[in-house]
Amino acid sequence: MDGLYCIIKLSAMLRIFIFALLLSPIVTIAQDFTFGQLSNNDRIFDRKQLDSNANAVYLNEAGSTRFSYDSETGHMRLIHQYHARIKLFNKEGFDAANIVVPLYKSGTGNNEQETISDIKATTFNYQNGRLEETAMSEKAVFREEKSKYLTLAKFTLPNLKDNSIIEYSYMIETPFLFNFKTWNFQSDIPKVNSTYVAYIPANYRYNVSLRGFYKLTDTKAELSRECLRIAGKEMDCSKLTYNMKNMPAFIEEDYMTAPTNYKSAVYFELEEVFYLNGSSQKYTKTWRDVDYELTSNRDFGGQMKRKDVFKSIVPSLTTNATTDLDKAKAIFEYIKKQIRWNNYYGKYSETSVKEVIDRRSGNVADINFALISALSAADLDVEAVILSTRENGTPNKLYPIMSDFNYVVAKVNIGENSYLLDASEPLLPFGLLPLRCINDQGRVINLKKPSYWIDLKAAKKSATTHSLIGKMTEDGKIIGTVTSIALGLNALNIRKDIKKYTSVDEYVEKLDERLTNIKIKNFKIKNVDSVENALIEEYEVELTIASNENNATHFNPFFINPVRKNPFKLSERNYPVDLGAANEERISINLVLPENYVLKEQPKDLSIALPNQGGRYILQTTLVDKNLMVNQQLLLSKAIYTSEEYHYLKEFYNRVIQAQKADVLISKNN
Amino acid sequence: MKRFHFIWALLLIINAAKAQNYTIENIPASLKNRAHAVIRDDKTIIDMRSPENVLLSVDKAVTVFNKNGDKHGQLVLFYDKNTAIRSVKGEIYDEFGKQVSKFSLSNFKDESAINDFSLFEDSRVKYYIPQINTYPYTIVYHYEIRNKQNLIIPEWRPVPGFDVSVEKSSYQFISNPTDEIRINTKNYKGTKEELNVDKQKAILWKIENINALKHEPYAPNPDIYFPSIKVAPVNFSYYNFKGTYTDWQGLGKLSYDYLLKDRRALPLETVWLIEELVKGETTDRAKAKKIYEHFQKKTRYISVQIGIGGFQPIKATEVDKLGYGDCKALVNYMQALLEVVGIESYYCVVAAGDEKTDLMPSFASMEQGNHVILCLPLNGEPTWLECTSQDAPFGYLGSFTDDRWVLACTKEGGKLMKTPKFEAAKSVQLRTGELSLSKNGAISGKIETKFTGSQFDNHYFLLKKSPTEREKQLKYLYDINNIEFASMAFDVDTEQAQFTEQLAVEVGNYAAINNGKIVFTPNLFNVKRSVPAVRNRVLALDLKRGYVDVDSISFKLDDGIIPVIVPKEVKIDNKFGQYELAIKMKEGKLMYYRKLEMKDGQFKPEEYEAFENFVNEVANNDRIRATLLLKQ
Repeated sequence: MDGLYCIIKLSAMLRIFIFALLLSPIVTIAQDFTFGQLSNNDRIFDRKQLDSNANAVYLNEAGSTRFSYDSETGHMRLIHQYHARIKLFNKEGFDAANIVVPLYKSGTGNNEQETISDIKATTFNYQNGRLEETAMSEKAVFREEKSKYLTLAKFTLPNLKDNSIIEYSYMIETPFLFNFKTWNFQSDIPKVNSTYVAYIPANYRYNVSLRGFYKLTDTKAELSRECLRIAGKEMDCSKLTYNMKNMPAFIEEDYMTAPTNYKSAVYFELEEVFYLNGSSQKYTKTWRDVDYELTSNRDFGGQMKRKDVFKSIVPSLTTNATTDLDKAKAIFEYIKKQIRWNNYYGKYSETSVKEVIDRRSGNVADINFALISALSAADLDVEAVILSTRENGTPNKLYPIMSDFNYVVAKVNIGENSYLLDASEPLLPFGLLPLRCINDQGRVINLKKPSYWIDLKAAKKSATTHSLIGKMTEDGKIIGTVTSIALGLNALNIRKDIKKYTSVDEYVEKLDERLTNIKIKNFKIKNVDSVENALIEEYEVELTIASNENNATHFNPFFINPVRKNPFKLSERNYPVDLGAANEERISINLVLPENYVLKEQPKDLSIALPNQGGRYILQTTLVDKNLMVNQQLLLSKAIYTSEEYHYLKEFYNRVIQAQKADVLISKNN
Repeated sequence: MKRFHFIWALLLIINAAKAQNYTIENIPASLKNRAHAVIRDDKTIIDMRSPENVLLSVDKAVTVFNKNGDKHGQLVLFYDKNTAIRSVKGEIYDEFGKQVSKFSLSNFKDESAINDFSLFEDSRVKYYIPQINTYPYTIVYHYEIRNKQNLIIPEWRPVPGFDVSVEKSSYQFISNPTDEIRINTKNYKGTKEELNVDKQKAILWKIENINALKHEPYAPNPDIYFPSIKVAPVNFSYYNFKGTYTDWQGLGKLSYDYLLKDRRALPLETVWLIEELVKGETTDRAKAKKIYEHFQKKTRYISVQIGIGGFQPIKATEVDKLGYGDCKALVNYMQALLEVVGIESYYCVVAAGDEKTDLMPSFASMEQGNHVILCLPLNGEPTWLECTSQDAPFGYLGSFTDDRWVLACTKEGGKLMKTPKFEAAKSVQLRTGELSLSKNGAISGKIETKFTGSQFDNHYFLLKKSPTEREKQLKYLYDINNIEFASMAFDVDTEQAQFTEQLAVEVGNYAAINNGKIVFTPNLFNVKRSVPAVRNRVLALDLKRGYVDVDSISFKLDDGIIPVIVPKEVKIDNKFGQYELAIKMKEGKLMYYRKLEMKDGQFKPEEYEAFENFVNEVANNDRIRATLLLKQ
């Protein structure tokens, strides 16, 4: 499997199916199950059959979505039926009986909104061999106006006991046709059986995609005759059935991007509508269409070519620049300082480059379009890259879905090289994207050429070097200077941390308070604001970490950023590990031992590596005269490790932790 | 109409004040020191025109210095059916006092103010978060809120928290001269001014130039040292309900008569069921325990903030039918069940939270509590029940409600009662272990831990978790690399409130092997964390709850390990606690013994360093490593 999730293109296949079915007799299969008709299997269902850790499971879940024509308004609507039967094994599982149904609203003038009706909910308990039913009253349904765009319908089931079976169903009517209704095969509890049926009229074409790591147990495409009546005319539909059985619970783990990238679900995107009058309207487009639309859009392409705004300023910015790269850097610095980010993402400009320059504040698109315009005013070859941030999921690669993208950055091409630039983070160096943008691929939009995909990676190495040079006194104190040099995203993180405080002094004060057994006597932090350079921290420190007995001193030389806990603790990992960027850490300690002392014990040298050049750890201890040197290198050379590589990562860290337990022992030479 | 003029006169004063310059140069240096934000000016005026019409007007200017101060620049206004936001507007200035932007109510986000699953809650929130990334900046705003009740008057807390300084802040309460009000003043050093304007009575409090207070670990409850003013009218109106109270007795009586009295009827079947249930039990305590256990099985907690602004419980019959309710409903239902067999109980309002907060004995007001628990007098042996928990042992209150003054609402009226305190000597974690150390550094064996008192619920929640969840939580609780749990068993003694955990553990590669030696930390399970240093501490040291931990672990040594060790013994005894450590060989086994008693109490700020040294000494001793030789 490549990438983070897989998409099965179904629409092409479906069309063939539908065609074939036109000639075959109609077969109807009951997808839904009867409300309240519990089977013996339901009653005796033991969680061990699926997941002995589950506190609740969906015994059965069915949903369908069909079109309905509202003759009064002349608008199409979708009718979504939902039905679930859940077994609650214990009180920990009772949360599954707290139901929240989101209902969306357009929030605009026409105020289109989704409505819920026919809510039915019942609790079943087997008491003394009898089935006891408690129905929820209609009055027990509450509505919460969550925001302008969202209402929540909420209810909970009555009379819950261990091993209760609850069942509920409802109907949602929605005016929003574009996304049809996504069906999630996975939730935070396992599902024994989950079936979704979509009735799509012959004149509507949707792109259907399946996300996640599991395969459909069953899928069918059939013809459903006369499923829809519009203005007295009967329409046929294709009836698409999707089924998954015995789905495990989806549990979020560390080092994951958005859960939607991993959860098994079927998605629909409206591609095209064919009207009765023979005309048609395209919704999902080809990249060619999108390229044209974006480049001619006032808030996108329109803002990429606002060279005029920068005509006067660019020459003065670039007077000292001799190369194109220097020019680009000067302009990048200028935009970063000139416009402050208002904390909003976006792929469209909210106002205009002109206004943003005046106001000195804007969203991500405002800032980066200003950057693109300014770079092109300096006659540099520049493009825009739309992308999806890490928490927003990865974009669909098969066809353009504009709602997948929520961010835009600049790409400047200089000679053989190209650089991705985001001017919204003033602490970023030239050519490095913030971690939030490092997510799979982005689409490069060029004003004149067709668009294309580009990998989004941390272009600069994220690395940190710590070195301590000092001496050990006879009473076991270590006095010396720690110099830490951070590059790439590591430097960005420290700079952001420092900026949380009013002054660097305050930052160090807090650091000093946090570190026990280490006193910071003096410090110097360089390049906090000159972000093109490495961030350098220098601390004069005094450490009391050694214990001294009977003229022998032993101490653990791994006191700088030790690995004490394994970040990978699971016995099994189902999804890839996404660290965002490769990382390298080097730690070196150079200590002059006290007079008359000799080295008795030292940590064993070690060199281990991850398979496929995934990384390595090297530990080396040497003694030259009175100088004890302990050098370590911890390298993770990949941003993403597969779930198969998880065990290697885990074992790798175990070995590192084990190695760092070893002490140095020195004793007085009598 | 006169009143109308009066408020206009005030607004004019406010507008005059607005011409101020917000450049940060004007902030005195002492206020900038260690501050994430400065309240430049805050004028709060409360105009109680009638019990159903209380106007709150706020004019505020805050300078934010860094990201940590952002929260003080946000404007968050709660409202509901009884609270209407009338107007909001404001501006943002840069460090030179130049205006950068303006905002009004249309720039606010509007959301329901509910976090977790709550079936019904009326509370909503409008909020504005300045989208500014350039520091410092100053946000200046004015808003007005109309309260259609005067039971709860917004209090004044001029210092909103740690790391914030205050240049100027004032609070004015305006009412009819005939209105009787009660006032509670905390940590307010100034004087109050009384003015008469246009036949109205106004009282004014103000403070100036308060330096930022740094947050310090183990600080006492901020209520104790931050200033606040509370006002409570004697005659109040709330959701069409009118009443009078001046003390807890009266407030408790009022609550009982109007919110609780007639809510406890039960269906006959339930009455029979309860009567049947306690048959054969002779004491009230035993009956109450049976009823509580039945109650815990039958009900669960669901938030439903309905009924007289969220103060009235849902009827017992409803809870009986639905099997759920909020804290009020569940306490009321439990009370109804106890009544069936003639056991008296009190509905008790408490300020719940890990911080021990009392209802102020000298000043009664409705908003001090946030939770309800049940107290059974049981002939002079008061027993307390947490009714929102489905697994708390009978009579057990955790650190959420322990050791504080609460209000019992009885039919005779309100009375303050104190919930039980966990004594250090009774809050014990007792661990024994029999482990083996192999020559390749692996540890394996059994440990058993008993938890009581305030430590009872340290691990108790594991009982209800699924096996994988237990394993995950245990790996977090016993934070040892490579630890695996071969078996887990838990037991609870609800009579004594004692939880027992039995584990079979395996820790691969625990000991380090180097140069013919095997080195390891015999204290695997209970390593005290050191506490941070605090320079120039100003706040008292508050150790809220004491406890005792005892660990005695024996290690059987592999044949390949020479059973010889340098014995180690440590004893520390001081006002903060006691520490004992002993490592020795006995009958071929390495014996590790550790006892730590941490006392509770309040200490002077200058004593913090001694406390820090004590804890850090304990922490260092906890990490002591044992070195043994391997046979060659």
